[in-house]
Parts: sequence; structure tokens; C-alpha cells
Amino acid sequence: MQSFFQTLTSGLSFGAVYALVALGFSLVYRTMGLVNFAHGAVLTIGAYVASTFYLSARLPFAVAVPAAMAVTGAIGLVIERVLRPLENKDFDLMLIGTIGAGTVLEAAAILIWTSAGRGVPSPVSAAPLIVGGVRIGAYNLAVVGIAAVAVGGLTVFLQRTKRGAAMQAVAMDHEAATAVGIHVGRSNALAFAIGAGLAALAGSLASPLLYVSPTMGDSLGIQGFAAAILGGFGSIPGAIVGGLGIGVIGSFAAQWFQGYSDLVTFVVFTVLVMIRPTGIFGEQTVNRA
Amino acid sequence: MSIVTPFRARLLGLAALAVLAWLLPYRLNIYWISVTDTALLFALLAVGMGLVMGTAGQVNLAQIAFFGVGAYATGILTTHEGLGFWTAALAALGFAIAAGLVVGLPALRVQSHYLGIVTLGLAVAFLDWVTNAPVTGGDSGLGGIPVPPLFGIDLSSQYLYYYLEVVVLAAGLAFGYFVVRTPLGRRMRAMRDDSLAAGAAGTEIGVLRMIAFLLAGVYGGMAGVLYAGQIHYIAPESFSIADMFLLLAMVIIGGRRSLAGCVLGAVGLIIAQQELVNLAADAQLGYGLVVVAVVVFTPTGLAGISARLHRRRARGFAGPGGLEPFQPSALDGAPVPAASGTLLEVSGLVMRFRGLTALDGVSIEVRTGEILGVVGPNGSGKTTLFNVISGLYRPSGGSVRFCGREISAMRPYRVSQLGIARTFQHLRLFRNLTVLDNVLVWMDRTRSGWSWRYVCWPWGVWRYDRALQDRAWALVRGFGLASFVSALPGELPYGTQRRLEIARAMASSPSLLLLDEPAAGLNADEQRQLAEIVRAIRDSGVTVVLIEHNMGLVMSLCERVVVLDSGMVIASGAPGEVARDPTVLEAYLGRTPLSGLPAPQREPTEAS
Repeated sequence: MQSFFQTLTSGLSFGAVYALVALGFSLVYRTMGLVNFAHGAVLTIGAYVASTFYLSARLPFAVAVPAAMAVTGAIGLVIERVLRPLENKDFDLMLIGTIGAGTVLEAAAILIWTSAGRGVPSPVSAAPLIVGGVRIGAYNLAVVGIAAVAVGGLTVFLQRTKRGAAMQAVAMDHEAATAVGIHVGRSNALAFAIGAGLAALAGSLASPLLYVSPTMGDSLGIQGFAAAILGGFGSIPGAIVGGLGIGVIGSFAAQWFQGYSDLVTFVVFTVLVMIRPTGIFGEQTVNRA
Repeated sequence: MSIVTPFRARLLGLAALAVLAWLLPYRLNIYWISVTDTALLFALLAVGMGLVMGTAGQVNLAQIAFFGVGAYATGILTTHEGLGFWTAALAALGFAIAAGLVVGLPALRVQSHYLGIVTLGLAVAFLDWVTNAPVTGGDSGLGGIPVPPLFGIDLSSQYLYYYLEVVVLAAGLAFGYFVVRTPLGRRMRAMRDDSLAAGAAGTEIGVLRMIAFLLAGVYGGMAGVLYAGQIHYIAPESFSIADMFLLLAMVIIGGRRSLAGCVLGAVGLIIAQQELVNLAADAQLGYGLVVVAVVVFTPTGLAGISARLHRRRARGFAGPGGLEPFQPSALDGAPVPAASGTLLEVSGLVMRFRGLTALDGVSIEVRTGEILGVVGPNGSGKTTLFNVISGLYRPSGGSVRFCGREISAMRPYRVSQLGIARTFQHLRLFRNLTVLDNVLVWMDRTRSGWSWRYVCWPWGVWRYDRALQDRAWALVRGFGLASFVSALPGELPYGTQRRLEIARAMASSPSLLLLDEPAAGLNADEQRQLAEIVRAIRDSGVTVVLIEHNMGLVMSLCERVVVLDSGMVIASGAPGEVARDPTVLEAYLGRTPLSGLPAPQREPTEAS
């Protein structure tokens, strides 16, 4: 039982990271209908920038992370401008177009930071909490907390601010949004920048848990995308539940099947998607003739 | 003469290509010949991708895994089990096909980006297995795969192996083109453009998706077998996700809708990659930029550019030629049902969408050989009725009997094959298929099981297709569309598109035709032609049910009219009687003291 909870808690802290990745995917998708496969690469850039601020510039972690989010947010604005012709288009094109953009970012990461990875020491030195025999790392707890704050902030932004409401309107019907005077292009750019910022947050939070390398975003990106689909693509609560779900599945798969955790995770994921294609919070759509 | 010349030109082109392929190795050193061999394998993989993604529209990010299954199965069976190379190869092909079918299963439930991430996930799962399993040699890979024996030809030479690959690629490409241009591929393309309309045309969507993944498995498996035989050593890094994306880039840059484009993309990218191999990150940067630029500026890839030029030239030659008058002889082939009486009987039909009840106990009887009008205000459930009859929706209650058979639980393709054809209110023509192909998809009445002939009796497929083409030409000519045969639907004037929609529905030789607002957006002259066509269709023995807002047309065309309001039948009978029925007037105009006929207007007012 104790090991069960140990596995569960470690799954939840990775799940919080996946949830942030999934949130970025979903936000961008629901606002502009763009399935962004460059998201993983943006995450890599974010992790590198944060680790550079933290390790080389010796800024406190709490400053380095928001700074990295701002930098990747700015990069996001550029990518959005380049990929704008693909929004709401044929999925094949988005797929390869955003993968191409991701390749560019990954190559840029190699050119700037070389292909050697770097380890990031945990910024939290507090002793792990022990609850009922289950060890909970202080940093893991911090990750979950920060992710929760980020989700809360995003929700408040979308529901309580005028810009957030405009973004929701664009998500529902971009033509109608244009008609009532919302600048759709600007709203989309903002959504993409926020998505990129979330990716940087996920990447920098994950870097003490994993290892910063040019391909770090590949695996996190795929897991996060799977999380978004599992929760219901485009849904904010879905991204959180899906992220935690993928995290927990992966954690138990690693516990029970060791090396085969990816195999088990994705087979389970495939079966779940086949059982419920729209995800947990997905909208059921009706074919209209 | 004019038919022979392009054919000869194409034959000459092929011969020149063959000679080039034959001579090429004489000009290449050992390094470049092995690069070329790799490029040919990727070309084979890309053709498989082109079929599943470009032709059938199924996002497949597991092609690299099929490649891996083929290679690993060959490797394991030859080294561990001691099988001969070709025996192992055959078994490996079987495994790859099985992998294709397993990966394709989710396509029955999900599409587009959902399918993308599922197939990608399964590719990651495969990669995870080969890096961990003892039988695959894990990270260190699997060596000692024998050289394939072939009638004493020494295939350990990269030069001779090149010829083997060229032959396999040529055969694969030829078979691919054969599929794309005959009924199977035509249906796949129709499914890619609009799976709903393809279903209504009699296509078994699920089976077709599985066939597409099966084909992807075959091509992936063949490439894998050849790879194992060429390199003799396999390791997980040859089947990475990065390679999957490279393959995807090849297909998109070359042009996913053209198999030759896929080959071109594969060869081009492999050569470019080798040229730039020493500056890995720069090369990666450049390759990424090229991909983005191609996608943003030429969405159909290199092959798309050439196709567009070709079309432009063709249009210049053919001249604009217009819509010709309809000839009733177009319908000569249609069956004349002998029996009279009730053809379709809808009784107590209920259709609920969560809270909304769109049809609330609708009962309608359609008599053989009549033209029945279905009218009613917007939102009264007319189109829902058609959707239930044609199998798009499964009703919440009630029954639909056609020729005495219960059809309400049938899939759209079954309904179509029983002889019910329909048109759509908002045209659903296959937008990337020519006018002739649009007609051919509906004319093809075979079941998917028929496709085994592609393997065992291709000559029969060819002959069937020829016959189909002749009949389609006759139909298109009869409907006055002859000058548009090779145009895309989007290039036609709106009224002509409406006529095409009816023509292709008639191509399926139905006994019942459902027309959903066929006159919407037509001018007076086109409406007159439409009336003439619908009468001719009825005279040829086909029963017609017509949804229409244009009251003038309904009055002049229909023998009987059924009026729907809020999902219920509120009146039925001869047009004249129905138009004077007080309940009908109320439904259309609200509770007002107006008398007389409702004004024949295009859009009935929604007064209530």
C-alpha cells in the first residue's frame, strides 16, 4: 500500500508537468484551431533559457522561470506570425508545418547550447515530507503547487478579463468574433504566446526532475499531447485531468513493467481513446449533412 | 492520333527513366550507391505513406514502425530461428501487415490529430519494445542477418542490391498507381475528401480505412525486409521518431497526393541530408525552414505545382465549353421496378438529439413511381428525416421499411447499395476528384470484399474499371456535363455543381432518389431545367422524394406533398389541398387571418 502511494505521488508530480504541456496544446488548439507539434521544441527552448538564467546568470529560480516564460512567449509571437496561414487548415499541413518549426527550434537549441545536455540541481533544498510513510519530495510538491497556481491564473484570465473573454469568443466562432470587433489576429497571437509561456514553465519545472537536452521536449511533447487528447482536446479541465492521468499511468507502468513503461502507457492510451474518442471532457459532435 | 501521342510520350518517358535507372550505378562510387539504396528504401516507405495519408486521408505516424517490424522480423527469424531469408521475408511481410491492421484499428473510431497522436504513440511503444526486449538485442541491435540469395546473384554487392531495390520500387509504384486510379483508390480519395458523402455513395468507410493501413503495412514491411537484407544489422535508432518525421517531410514536400511526388521527396531529402551531413545542426535548421516554407507557400508540394501548371495548360486547350442541355436518354440504364405500391414506409419515426426532439413520430408512405414533396419551415426536421432514411443517423424510435425491408439500423453504405441515393442541401461533392471521378465513385457498386481481385485478378479490376468509365462518360454526357469531365467541382458554376450532385446520385442506379433542396440558389432557367430532369428521372422508373422551399416548383412537380412542422407531419395530400390547409398556413405564417395560397417565396418567414 505504501509503495502504491509512493508511485501515485511521483506520478502526480510528473502529471502536473504534463498537465501544463497539455494546457498549452489545448489553449492554442481551441483558440485558433492549430495543432501545434512545435510545442515540445518550445518547451526545450524554455528549459534551456531558464537553466541558463539560473545556472549561468545565477538568478534565483523564481526569477529565472518567469524570465524564460517571457522569452519563449516572444518567440511564440514570431512562430504564430509565420504559421498563421496554417490556422484552421488541413491537419496534414499543420502537422508537418509545426513539426518543421519544431525542427528549426531544436536545431537552434543545438547551435546555441550544443547537443550535450545539462543537469539542473533542485532549487528547493528542504527535506522531503513524510506522510504516512510516503516520501514526498519538497520540490515535487512545489511543482504541483506552481502548476495549480498557473492553472488558476489562466482560468481567471480567461473568465474574468476582457482579453480572456475575447479569446474565448474567438475560440467559439472566429467570424462572429471578428464581426463584434475583436482583433482575431492579435487575440490568437496572445493565445500562442501564453501557450509558449506555459511550455517554458513546464520545461523549466521539469528540468530538475529530468535533464535538459535538445530532445527533452520530444518525449514531454508527445506525453503532453496524449494528455490533452485523453482529457478532451481543447478543454482546460480536461488538460489537467489528462495530464495527471498520463503521469499516473506512466508512473505505475514504470513501477510494474520497468523499461516497457512507454509501451504500456501508449497501449493503455490507445485503448482509452478507442473507448472514448472525445476524451473525458470532450464535446460530442454530431455529423451534419 | 491525339490519343496515341501522349500515351507514346509517356511510354518513351518511362523507357528513358528505366535506362537512366539502369545506367546510374556506373556513375556512382560505393558511398553514393549505398546512399541511393537508402533513398530507394525511403521512397518505398513514402509510397506507402502517400497511399495511406495522401490517398486515403488517414494520418499515419507509425509507418516507421511498420518498417521496423519488417526489418526486425526478418532479422529475428533468420538469426534466431534459422529460417531462409525469403521465407523469413514472407513471414515478416505478414507481421508488418498485422502491425498495419493493429495500428489502423483506432482509425475506426478517431481521425485527424487524434489518429495522429495514437499512431505516433504506438510507434513510440514499438520503439520502446525493441530497445528493451532481449529477442531484438535491445540497444546494441541485431547483427548477422544473411545476404538474401537470388539465383546466384551476389546481393552483398551494394551495386547489385540497387537493382533489386529498383525493381521492387518500380513494382510497388506501379501497383500503387494501379490502386489509386481504379475503383479502390477512387473510393479512398472520395473518403479523404468527405467520408460522410463517400458513405452515402456506398463506400464501407471502416473496411476502406483498414485496407489503407494494410497497404501501408505492406510497403513498410517490404522496405524493412530489404533494409535488413542490405545492412545485415539493425538497431533501434534506425526507426526513431525523428526518422518518422523525416519520412513525413518527404511525403509532404514531394506532394502527398502524388505517388511520384512522394518518391521525389524521399530521394531529394536523403540526398540533401547526405550533402549536409557534416554540419548536422545547420542542416537540421535548413531542413526545418524548407519544410515550413513549403507548407506555407505550396501546400500541395512539388507535385502539386506541376499538377497546377498541367491543369492550367489543359484548360487552355479545351476551351471553356459550357453546360449542355440534359438528355433523358442519360437514364436509359436505370432499372424499372415492376412492382407498384409502397416503396418506402416510414412509421412512427422519432429522432432525439439529447434534449431536442427533431422528429416526433413521423409516418410517411412513399409510393412507387411518384414524386413526393416534403415541405415545412426551417428546422421542422426535413433534412433529419433524410439523414435517418439514408442511414446517417440511427433513429431513437420507429421504423423505416424499404421494399418491405427494415433499414433503420443499416449503415449508409448498405442503404445506398439497396438502391436509395441522396443529394445534400449544402453540396457535398468530392472537391479534389474530377467530375468524372465524382460520378465513378457513385457508379461503382462493388462491396469492399471485391478488393481481393487487386491481388489475385488485377486484369479483372482493369476491365471492370474500363466498363465503368464508359458508362460514366455516357451519363455525364447525358446530363450535359461533357465539357467539364476533367474539371474539379469547385471550378464549376454553382448551378452546374447542383446538376452534378444529381447526376452522380443517379449514377448509383437507385430506385429511390432523395433530393434535399435541389433548387436552392438556382435561377429561373436552371429551376426549369431541374424540373425537367426530375420528371425524366421519375419517368425512367425512379421514385423521387424532394425537400424544397420553392413552393412554385413543389406545386408544379409533386403529385403529393407532406408538410412537416416541429418534427411532426401536419398535413399531406395533393399540393393544391395542402396549400389551403389552415394548419399549414398557421405553421408557415403564424396565427394570422390571411387566406389563400402562401406566396411562393424562396425563404418562408419564420413568423413564430
